[in-house]
Amino acid sequence: MAAKNKDERKATSGDAKGRYERLEEVEGFLMRAHEGDKTVLPALREALDMMPELARKLVDPADQAERTMVQNYAGDDLLVKEAIPRTLKLMREELAGHNPSPLERLLVERVVVSWFQLQYFEGLYAQNMRNLTIPQAEFHQKRIDRAHRRHLSAIRTLAQVRKLLKPGTPQVAHINIGERQINTTNVT
Amino acid sequence: MGWEKRARGGLYYTRSRKINGRVVREYVGTGPLATLAAEMDALDRQRRQEEAEAWRVECECMEALETPIEELCEATEVLAQAALLAAGYHRHNRGEWRKRRGG
Repeated sequence: MAAKNKDERKATSGDAKGRYERLEEVEGFLMRAHEGDKTVLPALREALDMMPELARKLVDPADQAERTMVQNYAGDDLLVKEAIPRTLKLMREELAGHNPSPLERLLVERVVVSWFQLQYFEGLYAQNMRNLTIPQAEFHQKRIDRAHRRHLSAIRTLAQVRKLLKPGTPQVAHINIGERQINTTNVT
Repeated sequence: MGWEKRARGGLYYTRSRKINGRVVREYVGTGPLATLAAEMDALDRQRRQEEAEAWRVECECMEALETPIEELCEATEVLAQAALLAAGYHRHNRGEWRKRRGG
């Protein structure tokens, strides 16, 4: 099913096609590297050098989705429409810290956008829950669960990359428990 | 659901619905009362169709918001793994990342 969706997505645009070809190439290197094939390391490094361009191609569609979510979330409320992007920008700056690597910037983007998506889906569900049928409510819950998993995974990967590739960097993470957000800082 | 023509002439309004997986036909009647029931059923059907269409559109919109973020997540995961491998780490038993000896 996931593979089918991936195939359909591939066919939608030429830009996306290029992006996937490049990523599939990296995935191929990853599999070989996991099996202990050291000969792929130069190619892997070369693929990582492509990151700024790759990052732009990945972040642009996510950025568009974020703008749509802000628009839907705020509705006609201009104050909320102005405030949300500022909050997200602040989160990006706080999480990125000083002198982030291109990979860190990409991972921070993932953490922020997945956090906002989770808030968006939860808000939408809370707003409509009285009018939903049981299957519709279950559908929303599954979507929220997926968003939550994506967000936790984003935090974990950022922390892992910082810990292993930039030892000594303060590890900052925010954890949502109920409606409270807890910020943790741990210097390793 | 609909009008049945009877052998003696005249129309009889009936409804079919599923009860415990079996289709059960309910005989409503004839005359103005049956016409009213038919109109109410038609309105109800239209309302349900509109609700289903609205739900379908909402699902499509949500999907359009979810897909690019899902792609970003998948791709950054691949890139993070690539960076760790390139830096000499490997995944021990598909769990924690460890530095290769002498790497």
